[in-house]
Amino acid sequence: MRFKSLFLGVFVLFSILGCSENKIDSKPTVNIWHWMTDRDPAFQELAKKYESLYGVKINFELYAPSDAYSQKIRAAAQGTNLPDIFGILGEKRDFASFIKAGHILDITSYMEANNNKWKNSFFPKALAVNEFSKGNSYGIEPGIFGVPIDIMTIQMVYNKKLLGQLGLNPNRPPKTLQDFLDIGGKIRDAGMQGLVSGWGEVWMVDCLANDYAFNIMGKDKVLATIRGEVPYTDEDWIKVLSVFKQMQESGVLAQGLVTMINKSAEQIFANEKAVFAFNGSWCVNVYKGMNPDLEYGAMLPPEASGRYPMSIWGGAGSSFMVNARSKNKEEAVKFLVWLTDQDQQAYLAQTTNNLPANKNSLSKIPEVLAQFARGMDYATHPNVWGVSEFSLVIEALDRGIQSIIIGEKTPEQVAGEVQKVKEREMAKRRAK
Amino acid sequence: MKHALYYKSQKIATNTLVHILLITVSITCLYPLLWMIVSSLKTQDMIFKDISLIPHQFHFENYILAWKEGGFGRNFFNSIVYTLSVVCGIVIISSMAAYAFSRLKFAGSKFLFIMFMAAMMIPIPGSFVALYVLLNKLHLRNTPIGYILCMINVGLSTSIFLLKTFFDKMPKELEDAARIDGCSKIGIWRHVALPLAKPVLAVVVVFNALSVWNEYILALIIFDSRQFMPLQVALQTFQGEFVTNYPLLMAGLTITALPIIIVYLLMQKYIVKGVTQGAVVG
Repeated sequence: MRFKSLFLGVFVLFSILGCSENKIDSKPTVNIWHWMTDRDPAFQELAKKYESLYGVKINFELYAPSDAYSQKIRAAAQGTNLPDIFGILGEKRDFASFIKAGHILDITSYMEANNNKWKNSFFPKALAVNEFSKGNSYGIEPGIFGVPIDIMTIQMVYNKKLLGQLGLNPNRPPKTLQDFLDIGGKIRDAGMQGLVSGWGEVWMVDCLANDYAFNIMGKDKVLATIRGEVPYTDEDWIKVLSVFKQMQESGVLAQGLVTMINKSAEQIFANEKAVFAFNGSWCVNVYKGMNPDLEYGAMLPPEASGRYPMSIWGGAGSSFMVNARSKNKEEAVKFLVWLTDQDQQAYLAQTTNNLPANKNSLSKIPEVLAQFARGMDYATHPNVWGVSEFSLVIEALDRGIQSIIIGEKTPEQVAGEVQKVKEREMAKRRAK
Repeated sequence: MKHALYYKSQKIATNTLVHILLITVSITCLYPLLWMIVSSLKTQDMIFKDISLIPHQFHFENYILAWKEGGFGRNFFNSIVYTLSVVCGIVIISSMAAYAFSRLKFAGSKFLFIMFMAAMMIPIPGSFVALYVLLNKLHLRNTPIGYILCMINVGLSTSIFLLKTFFDKMPKELEDAARIDGCSKIGIWRHVALPLAKPVLAVVVVFNALSVWNEYILALIIFDSRQFMPLQVALQTFQGEFVTNYPLLMAGLTITALPIIIVYLLMQKYIVKGVTQGAVVG
């Protein structure tokens, strides 16, 4: 009897669950999928405000973590179930593949309406990540395909209190590489930790190496190297690699840096155990959670050369795209125009500690965020270079830098090894 | 006399070594749980500043906040429904299938069984997109039944393997006796095979309950609406790309871990029996 009841129970349960359906709402609803856990409460608040102002329901659905979100977006694209607005995580080639498949609306005409009013409200470099220029290597028609919601820059931060304890002016961080290296001895004598960063996650090493490459040889030569026209054994590349050797020898790098993950680096810096950190602008939110009393400032990596300006990675932090097949395309674009307006952007920056994509919102944000935002003048990103390096070459360069830091290899050895990988990859490409 | 002393000291030494090993293993198992509970009672900055196991101040309100902010009420109910449905489905289908594979002779039975075993080798994330497209075509995407069917499918192979191994060893005389008493094939399965397989079923229940209770990636892909999401998805709301709200995450994890610990404790007797009887083979 009990067994029959169990069978019956399972049958009834399945029937009920199978009949579950979404309610149909008469109000126009714009559905948005995102992965930004820390921004969700602010998004929900803005959605309520928009509904009360314009009578359009905005439904933000959060899917975290970001890996699972990426899988969901890909699966939804296969099933043509993408929502009205969504974000894409990954490289520009992933973005391009969504455009090619007809999933993303070209919003250039909206951006350029009223004398480029919407377009001009953004930091140009924030928009560049969402833009495909003429003759791009992805074969996409030129245009703007995404709306930046916020921006990010990756820079250095310094602990004001510890800098003061070293006998230095806490409001004047080092500007040149030599100044920076000179602090190394003081850090060592004081028994402190120098620079911490997530260099165990190799992309952060790559980021700083690119910064110095731009500073030492300029953008054109870096891009020429990626195109295979300049070898990694070039004198300027040896100089770039030598920067890491100099840093290690001066004592300005923290112990165990090459295996450090960024979360540990953030914890060490937040607990005031390290003088410098190399981190992205998201760190403002992280440090606030770990140590609300931390006194620190943001700075550009110290210049190694005066020939070219210092460059940092930066651009759009997160962007939203409009589904080209959506019935609510117009409503979706209208909402994005409103969301990226000055007031909404300032609200997002104040509540989430992310840098606003709208350049007119800077006056209303905390000083340390403004310092990070000012770095946008020096920002660049591999996604906007128009050429991309082989991933095996990037890996060889990053691993090589790690070897230099632990004293295993010289800059010349690493340069030679990276060039070998580069030539091998180029030969493979030519053979295809 | 010397011999007695020698054996005694050897026994003490062995016992000491075994105990040290067991205590070490216990500590490594229990320490993360303890850290989880302790962290759930601290504030965010205290987690990073104060590494002591006894917090200076207990923040029990983290549990209430985690429950409210994570929207645990609805998700908790969903997880219970999914776990019960999937486990019931797996127990019924896998026990029937395993009994059939073990006792019924039909064409292609070996091939079918090998196919089921081969399914164990396919990593679940590899089939996500295919599952999504299939459910979409069947109009079962974004419905609990679609998710339950997928999860039943995920757990079947291992359960069938465990149960078939047990049924293969079961004495046939018991079934003959039941047949003489007028039992049908389904009756033998229900009244003879299933009661004898209790220890193995306990293992099947606990393993699958654990797997369904902890699953969130498939749920995240299949469901669009938050109202259908299981508890584990709610936990992800505390874990951002760069910032993690550790106190609420740990409080949420403690809440989430409780039901499964209770299930394990309730079935512990059967699991030990099941394992010692060779339920978990290979």
